Amino acid sequence: MPTITVFKDDLESLISREGGAGRGLSIAQIEEWLMLVKGELKGHHPETDELRIELQDSNRPDLWCCEGIARQIRIKQQGRLTPYPFFTEKSKPSYQLIVKPGMQQVRPYVAACTAKGYRVTEKGLAQLIQTQEKLADIFGRKRKTVSIGIYQLQNITFPVTYELVKPDDVRFTPLGMETTMTLSEILMVHPKGLEYGPILAVKSLLPILRDAKDQPLSFPPIINSREIGEVRVGDDELFVEVTGTDLRMVILSLNIFAANLADRGATIEPITVQYPTSTILGKRVTTPQDLGKPKTVKIHAIEQALGQELGETVVQQALETYGYDVTAGKGSVKAKLPPYRHDVMHTMDIVEDVAMSRGYAEFTPVMPAQFTVGGLSVIEQMSDRSRELMVGLGFQEIISNILGSPDHYSGFMRLQGTEWGRTVDVDNVMSLSFSCLRQWLLPSLLRVEAASSRAFYPHRLFEAGDVAIFDGTHESGSRTETVLGAMIAHATTHFSEIHSCLDVLFYYLGKEYSLEPVQHPSFLDGRAGRILVSGQSVGVIGEVHPEVLERWQIAMPIVAFDVNLSQLIRLG
Amino acid sequence: MDISALIDSLHPLEIKVLMTLGAHPSGTALESERLAEAGELEPSQLSMAIEWLLAKSLIAVQTETVTPMVSLTKIGEEYCQTASPIERVLEAARDATGTGKRLTIPDLQSQDGLDPSDVSKAVGRLKKEGAVLIIQGGCIETTGRPSPTAEAIRTLLGQLQESSKELMAFTDAHRQVIEDYAVKRGNAKEPFRIDERVARSFVLSQDGADAAAQLMKQGVAEEVSQLSPDLLKDGSWRQKRFRKYTISLRPPRIGTGKKHPYREFLDTVKTKLVSMGFQEMRGALVETEFWGMDALFMPQFHPARDIHDVYFVKEPSHTTAVDEPFLSRVASVHENGMETGSTGWGYSFDIHRAKRLVLRSQGTAVSARTLAASPHVPGKYFSIARCFRYDQVDATHATDFFQVEGIVLGEDINFRTLLGLLNLFAREVAQAKEVKFLPAYFPFTEPSVELHVRHPRLGWMELGGAGLFRPEVTLPLGVTVPVIAWGLGLDRMAMVALGIHDIRELFTDNLELIRTTRGQL
Repeated sequence: MPTITVFKDDLESLISREGGAGRGLSIAQIEEWLMLVKGELKGHHPETDELRIELQDSNRPDLWCCEGIARQIRIKQQGRLTPYPFFTEKSKPSYQLIVKPGMQQVRPYVAACTAKGYRVTEKGLAQLIQTQEKLADIFGRKRKTVSIGIYQLQNITFPVTYELVKPDDVRFTPLGMETTMTLSEILMVHPKGLEYGPILAVKSLLPILRDAKDQPLSFPPIINSREIGEVRVGDDELFVEVTGTDLRMVILSLNIFAANLADRGATIEPITVQYPTSTILGKRVTTPQDLGKPKTVKIHAIEQALGQELGETVVQQALETYGYDVTAGKGSVKAKLPPYRHDVMHTMDIVEDVAMSRGYAEFTPVMPAQFTVGGLSVIEQMSDRSRELMVGLGFQEIISNILGSPDHYSGFMRLQGTEWGRTVDVDNVMSLSFSCLRQWLLPSLLRVEAASSRAFYPHRLFEAGDVAIFDGTHESGSRTETVLGAMIAHATTHFSEIHSCLDVLFYYLGKEYSLEPVQHPSFLDGRAGRILVSGQSVGVIGEVHPEVLERWQIAMPIVAFDVNLSQLIRLG
Repeated sequence: MDISALIDSLHPLEIKVLMTLGAHPSGTALESERLAEAGELEPSQLSMAIEWLLAKSLIAVQTETVTPMVSLTKIGEEYCQTASPIERVLEAARDATGTGKRLTIPDLQSQDGLDPSDVSKAVGRLKKEGAVLIIQGGCIETTGRPSPTAEAIRTLLGQLQESSKELMAFTDAHRQVIEDYAVKRGNAKEPFRIDERVARSFVLSQDGADAAAQLMKQGVAEEVSQLSPDLLKDGSWRQKRFRKYTISLRPPRIGTGKKHPYREFLDTVKTKLVSMGFQEMRGALVETEFWGMDALFMPQFHPARDIHDVYFVKEPSHTTAVDEPFLSRVASVHENGMETGSTGWGYSFDIHRAKRLVLRSQGTAVSARTLAASPHVPGKYFSIARCFRYDQVDATHATDFFQVEGIVLGEDINFRTLLGLLNLFAREVAQAKEVKFLPAYFPFTEPSVELHVRHPRLGWMELGGAGLFRPEVTLPLGVTVPVIAWGLGLDRMAMVALGIHDIRELFTDNLELIRTTRGQL
């Protein structure tokens, strides 16, 4: 979900191209229009007129820029997309880019074009750079699959070659540096080299883009040359290239860039990329290129999904005003995405575009009429019943994090290294305080007690909640169980006080139980018991060991029990 | 004022004080000490009775005098038995002068029970008074002149041994010594203490005088404070008078058994969902990436599956098996769309990755498992599932939180019935009459909707997200009817209902806060 910054007047002037009505929009109107692109206005600085917009759709990289948002709104206003000529022109491109053998193992694909006649403005440059970054970062997975370079065209002599070189054979001045560096120096020293270097698995041969005079353009996907690859305000002839690992993604990214520059007034000239061996699109690939194929969609399927009769005309109009190229047939439409989109995987994607184009407000809600029986799971019923009983016994319910620290769940409880102390641990720990799941409930109760010595006594606390119990025989290594924990703290509390509560609880749950002495490190020896039902353990009860209390810095005696409600249910 | 009603509500201690004052000529003021003596009351009983009577305006404070009182400290009492440092220093100096031994300050400081600061203070005082001299080599000699301070201290220790005395009763010279040797801040090791005694005298108010007169006239009947089984058994309660209580006083606090306010809020939501025909689903805290993400058609390269977004389990890191045919079907829907009419994501699905164990990151995992387990058609399901997010914890982000979500399956499910269901949620869960449906994006639904509602107290807010499950989700799991997936974001509503501003307080460890929070649902 990228968030981008655009200038309000820039957005308005792009909407207003070719007679769109985009001038002087109010913030409320902009918010309304943003629904068309799943955009949410996150902020507006009245002084600079900057808008911060979050774009939700991670499959629509064409919308992650001012030009794309404006385009979608403009199409809606004008009723259809005015086709970009460079996608359909058949004339032979004047420039060539030659891909040398060996790229297949490194970063196989490249697409490129030129853009002339648009003089780069300050705001336009900021948008170009932002689009380049968002596309490479999010769509290109941090430049792994797609990265983009923009250059001053007049400094380049064609044909440009894309080839592999030895790391120390080529040197140039990268952006952000004053002196020339070899490719291996860039990887070791340049901030971008350090950040993106790991993308290049093989370090013995590295990709480079060079022109016919052997001038390096860039070291993709790391950094551009400062001499050729630094675009400045006022430049009016640009060369744009995209490299990457997936030919369709590479071409789509270039298509987006080309459409954006065309929207700003540039004339786009395609470039032919000559591969040494055949690609899915052949040996010679002209870019930008419309890769879209029309998809036939039954009107009935759309109507069924939306729950509304629409007919061919309405569907055709809805899709056209959303940028599709549509031919209506009988009971179906043939719809083709515009060349800067490649996000239709299923008819349902087109269904959503129909709904968005018409506006969600056009659809009257209908209550689902089906009859269903509601109810709670068996364990939730058991948990609710236990909670009611605990409240009746005068206990205050608490609620705690399940993710916590091994210190609290085991260490403080004197359980380190015991079977009782085994927890499900996190691998990618961010903070030790949140590094394992609780395996029982008593620590959650002690956490509250430790922080609440100033609250008047007695304290009677309980929690019913999930824990994860380590279990090597289970397919995921642990069982999630619902457990009830309860504790009493006051100056004269003792075993029989909590035992009485357990007794009442089990009486009303209808469970026969017995206690069997147990040596449990968290409890005082001789004052702790295993709770048995049908000869099986369902929990523990006892006086909390003074050393446990010391570790929690609790200065009040505590008695407690911990009952596994899931186990109680299993025992019937 | 109704005097007899008033008298009935008096505590026996109050009656004693009133009658003591009433026994004196009208307008006589008595000090607390005299009152205690005449009424035979303990000081604590007296002060309780006086506070009550003052609160009822039956007596008034006539005078309030503050008297500085001198008494001995614990150290002072010790000096009584032994000797004060100044006396000991003088004694030692006299010994030395008499025997011709050298006596230096360090010699004195090494004596038992004398600490360096006591010695310096005593020597300084004696030298100032001319009782000793410091001669060459730091030796101390007596001059034969007496020390008024040492003598005064001895006298005062004797005089104060029995009881404290008023400071003003002493001569100027003795007062000076007392003040010099009294405990102060920063100097606790002194024999004397000066305290301020506040003495108040009290007179009867008009009502008090009336009550006292009435009491004298009628005499005091035998009074009981509490009905007892014995009184009931023999019927003797008939001869007793039951004191009337002042029932307007605040009662003592007690602890109560009570549900946690946030759980109570979730219980309400749960009840509403059940009443709308939803069946509860449960799931595990530890989930595979398969059910948590793959089955939801989130590609394995999806940014939200990154190491910085999900908690991975350390051991075991992978599950032993994912149920077939779901694993193969989901793998193929990712790769080529299976037979769902989808193109798929077009990448090579990693089965090992699908087995990776994670802490459940979204409640939708529970829905996916339900879809695969032959759910009822038509059917409505919900879960209130604890989920974990790899986030820095702050006022708006918790690592550990509840997600309320579910599914609705049926032949009649479509975009408009989806909106209808959201309308129902808006009305039932947020009591909202106005709603807005905004286009939204979720990886597993198409079309997707965000539900915004006008809450009666909160104004416009996002209540939840929903959509129709993509066929790439439902078909591989064996479900052929359309399915709504919905989720409600209730934490903000809960926080407002509970009057808190920090999401961490939903799980607070502050018992006082839990005890005093009232939900307003």
